[in-house]
Amino acid sequence: MQIELIVLLVMIGSFLIANMLLKLPVSLSMMLGAVLGTLVGGEGIPLRHLFEGAFVYLDTMMIIATAMIFMNVIEKSGTIEALGAAIVRRFYKVPAVMLILLMLIIMFPGMITGSSTAAVLSAGAIVAPILMLMGIPASKTGAMLAIGAILGMAAPPVNIPAMLITGGVDMPYIGFALPLLALTLPCAVFTALLLGLPYCKNLDYEKVKTGLNLEVGSRHGFKLYLPIVTLFLLMILTRAFAAYIPNLGMPLIFLISSVVGFFTGEKLDVVKTVETSISTSVPVLAKLVGVGMFIQIMTLTGARGFIVINCLGLGIVMLWIFSITILPAFGAVSSFGGASVLGVPFMLSMLSGNHTITAAALAFLACMGDLMPPTALAGNYAAKIVEQRYAKVLPRCLIPLAFCLLLGLLFLIFSKNLGFLVL
Amino acid sequence: MKFQPDQLKGNRITAIAVCTVALLCLVVLAREFLSMRKAEPIYPGPGVTRTAMLSDYFEGIKGTAGDTEIYILEGKKPGASILVLGGTHANEPSGLLSAVLLIENAVVEEGTLYVIPHTNNSGFTCTDPQEAAPMRFTIDTPTGPRTFRYGSRSTNPVHQWPDPELYLHVSSGQSLSGAETRNINRTYPGRPNGNFTEKVSYAVTTLIRQEGIDVTIDLHEAAPEYPTINALVAHENAMPLASMAMFNLAMEGMEISLEPSPQNLHGLTHRELGDHTNTWATLMETANPAQGRLRGKTDERLVVTGQDKFYQMAAKYGNLYVPFDERGHPISGRVSRHVTGIMQLAQAYNDLDLGKRIVITNVPTYEEMNQDIGRYLATPH
Repeated sequence: MQIELIVLLVMIGSFLIANMLLKLPVSLSMMLGAVLGTLVGGEGIPLRHLFEGAFVYLDTMMIIATAMIFMNVIEKSGTIEALGAAIVRRFYKVPAVMLILLMLIIMFPGMITGSSTAAVLSAGAIVAPILMLMGIPASKTGAMLAIGAILGMAAPPVNIPAMLITGGVDMPYIGFALPLLALTLPCAVFTALLLGLPYCKNLDYEKVKTGLNLEVGSRHGFKLYLPIVTLFLLMILTRAFAAYIPNLGMPLIFLISSVVGFFTGEKLDVVKTVETSISTSVPVLAKLVGVGMFIQIMTLTGARGFIVINCLGLGIVMLWIFSITILPAFGAVSSFGGASVLGVPFMLSMLSGNHTITAAALAFLACMGDLMPPTALAGNYAAKIVEQRYAKVLPRCLIPLAFCLLLGLLFLIFSKNLGFLVL
Repeated sequence: MKFQPDQLKGNRITAIAVCTVALLCLVVLAREFLSMRKAEPIYPGPGVTRTAMLSDYFEGIKGTAGDTEIYILEGKKPGASILVLGGTHANEPSGLLSAVLLIENAVVEEGTLYVIPHTNNSGFTCTDPQEAAPMRFTIDTPTGPRTFRYGSRSTNPVHQWPDPELYLHVSSGQSLSGAETRNINRTYPGRPNGNFTEKVSYAVTTLIRQEGIDVTIDLHEAAPEYPTINALVAHENAMPLASMAMFNLAMEGMEISLEPSPQNLHGLTHRELGDHTNTWATLMETANPAQGRLRGKTDERLVVTGQDKFYQMAAKYGNLYVPFDERGHPISGRVSRHVTGIMQLAQAYNDLDLGKRIVITNVPTYEEMNQDIGRYLATPH
């Protein structure tokens, strides 16, 4: 047995034992797996690599922490309740249209930031109470949020996995808009209708109305929505006028919008709101630290290369199969990591098709990794928003996920025929 | 002791213990990371007539980690000028070593040779998280070992941070993933009021304009699964020069492909320097398995020997763009390709008979360097 395989088995095995049997947190279990991996790999305990790996996701961690503050602010200031009431009042007669519109709202922040975390924590947090008001169960609402956020991350104009794959093969990130829309929009419509429509067909507005808080909206008026307007405005302006407006970064945009929220609605205890937000974020932040260490040690010991080379040693049919299994599954570590580590070699092995369609499909499939536990950034936060365990939400994601994987696979297989989408 | 997943209960003692261990790690590791800011010594050879700083061409980077030495080798007779960019990506070590070899050996009889060994100087002060690369590698010379830094593809985030989600290359309007904002070879021609990395690339562009550099050669390495490899990439203006050099290299037994610079891939030297200055912009790539996604154990041995069992398997599967057997792609071979490429580009320039020449001597041959690069590095002192 090759040493890299032994290292990999020890890392995964010790992680599972620590997490499932000893009930240690995912973060500590991953750290333990990484340390045992280095010992078995003959590297001792390389502090530098463990420390360096811990910083891989520093930027993402800052987005999560600040987005969590924003989410708490708009929740406690009454913005979410007011917005929910307004949307239901206006669209309850056309539930299918309302569901699709709400799905697009969930996707929007992901489309412009390329981050499913940003989508689920901003628009997801706003839309979730509306969906639940309409009678959709919490677990299905969580699934809509998770899938919607991931589809937003995959949709144009910003698809970071596609950028990572094209960067890895020196292809310009041009012509991706239509292929990515063709992949994401059908999935969004399918998911929204599958999970939501059965509960909204005969929406009884009078019944729903009793659950709506109409008072908070009338008390504060439009200014209640200013934090959300600020958030979307800053996101759009910094993208649209990137040459003129300095890059604020998502963490600062979330913080600015949160500060606005302190003055526009119900009164808030600033310190307590920030404290609650950060303590809610810590387990996920710690998880990212553990994942960073894990992937760095996989690279150091050759376990990462072992996975990649064993995927590539197979024919095109197996590559297609791996593209809808191993590639999204790599998201258990990181979806961006999946795009970079597996997406690029897969792309290089599929150059016989249409390059843009192939890269778009691979990037789309890599995005699905944000559903994969234990990291499952989109999934875990969607579950937190609807106050459910992710284990309850994930099964609800399976049919939409299967639809997405199937569509991605069809794009890979028929990439040559879909070249007309590349403009 | 059992804990709920993601909810670890602690107390004051565990908190103090964890903080103490973290502090100790920080002290030890900070020294290790900071040691990368100490540059490896370079010993200017008989051909170096003077040195300058990149900030001499753009004040905006003076006193920053982006400022770096330019070694200038002037001939007795004026003539054409060549600029060699080593260390554009600090994790592509043959670029740095080729530049060092030229500085320590080459003598220019006619014309001027400009050599920048650490083009993105900041990139040499850190490593890339997730890549698990060694911080240094050692080359044995007949008189003792010499150690060189193995840095990052990008500017150190300590010098430029945070990355935007999306990097907009202003002069072309091209969008790239945010991390590319610290990749100097995506920021050319640079901007005087841009970010840290754009200012460094702007300084290089200004040097080329002010000195009227005739030929620019940017030295790179790439993963063996990358399509543009063992290749010479040239801007359309530089094609006559590059094709003649490629022919000469083939005559010398060194196979290299010639690739045109893609017109719609912006920010790279071979595109932007050709478009925005009068230089003939070229770029060379060799194969470095230590950069690849398929590699096995990542260590100093891999960087120096270029041998990797997984890449041998990948070659058998047909996934690579270079041959790869048990001999791998040792650093001596990679440096010899670069240096020979530079010499042949200089020769091709002279063969084009443009009214000025550049004559570089005292550089070992392709075969000599291929045997052992260490023999041509200066004695450490």
